[in-house]
Amino acid sequence: MTAQESLKIISETLNNSRRSILQNNSKGFILWGVLLMVMSLVVYFSWHFTGHAAWNFLWFLMPVIGYPLAILIYKKDSAVPQNFIGKLLGQVWAVFGCFSIVISAIACTLVPIPITFTIVLILGMAECVSGVILKNWPIIIGGFLLGICGAAAAILLKTEAQILLFTIGGAILAATGLIVKYQYK
Amino acid sequence: MFPKLDPLLHSELRLAVMSILAGVDEADFSFIKKQTGATSGNLSVQIDKLTTAGYITVEKGFKGKMPRTTCKITPAGQEAFSKYVEALKEYLLN
Repeated sequence: MTAQESLKIISETLNNSRRSILQNNSKGFILWGVLLMVMSLVVYFSWHFTGHAAWNFLWFLMPVIGYPLAILIYKKDSAVPQNFIGKLLGQVWAVFGCFSIVISAIACTLVPIPITFTIVLILGMAECVSGVILKNWPIIIGGFLLGICGAAAAILLKTEAQILLFTIGGAILAATGLIVKYQYK
Repeated sequence: MFPKLDPLLHSELRLAVMSILAGVDEADFSFIKKQTGATSGNLSVQIDKLTTAGYITVEKGFKGKMPRTTCKITPAGQEAFSKYVEALKEYLLN
């Protein structure tokens, strides 16, 4: 085996392994993106047709549905390991999840925080940071636009229409998953 | 004078195994098998050689009811792999 052949084996194996790992990570983006879209539409239409803002409590169902589904999906491919990039992405979105749940709980009980504005802003930031980690410009720009334009729109829009910003956010999240899936195919 | 290449790593399958393990915390036997395209028998033999040399550790256990073999690169293995890559670079530069 020559030096060139050895280096070829190393780079090919590293690349293939990296592709498999990142492709596996795309499932998380697609799952949470689709769930966010579905949940936002359910909340929007329920609120729109009944006029009760209490439908917003349905948001707390999201982690209850999402986490068991995520465990189920990743259980199937439990043999795929995690690399540094995958772990970093997981940590970014875990932090986003914690902030969202805590901010929502505080906004509902203690301090009237502008919840849509805050969550859309941090959703855009998490998306943007994911793009930076993946070195993917469409994801960076999508996250930036979602965060900045979404936060501005959250202030301008009527209360129930704000919910549709999460539908857009979910679509961007699911699109990120598809980009990752096909980029590392 | 060219540096000597580690004979243990200078084998196609063992090098591929070390390349996979260098980029992750740990990896399942089934993942390594899929990535390398090797047969279970051949892969087991090469993994044993790397384990004996202290380059990787192998942990056997169960995930639910299914047996699971997990491989992990050791600091000695990481160092040997880095040295091997450095040696390769010298071969290619000179």
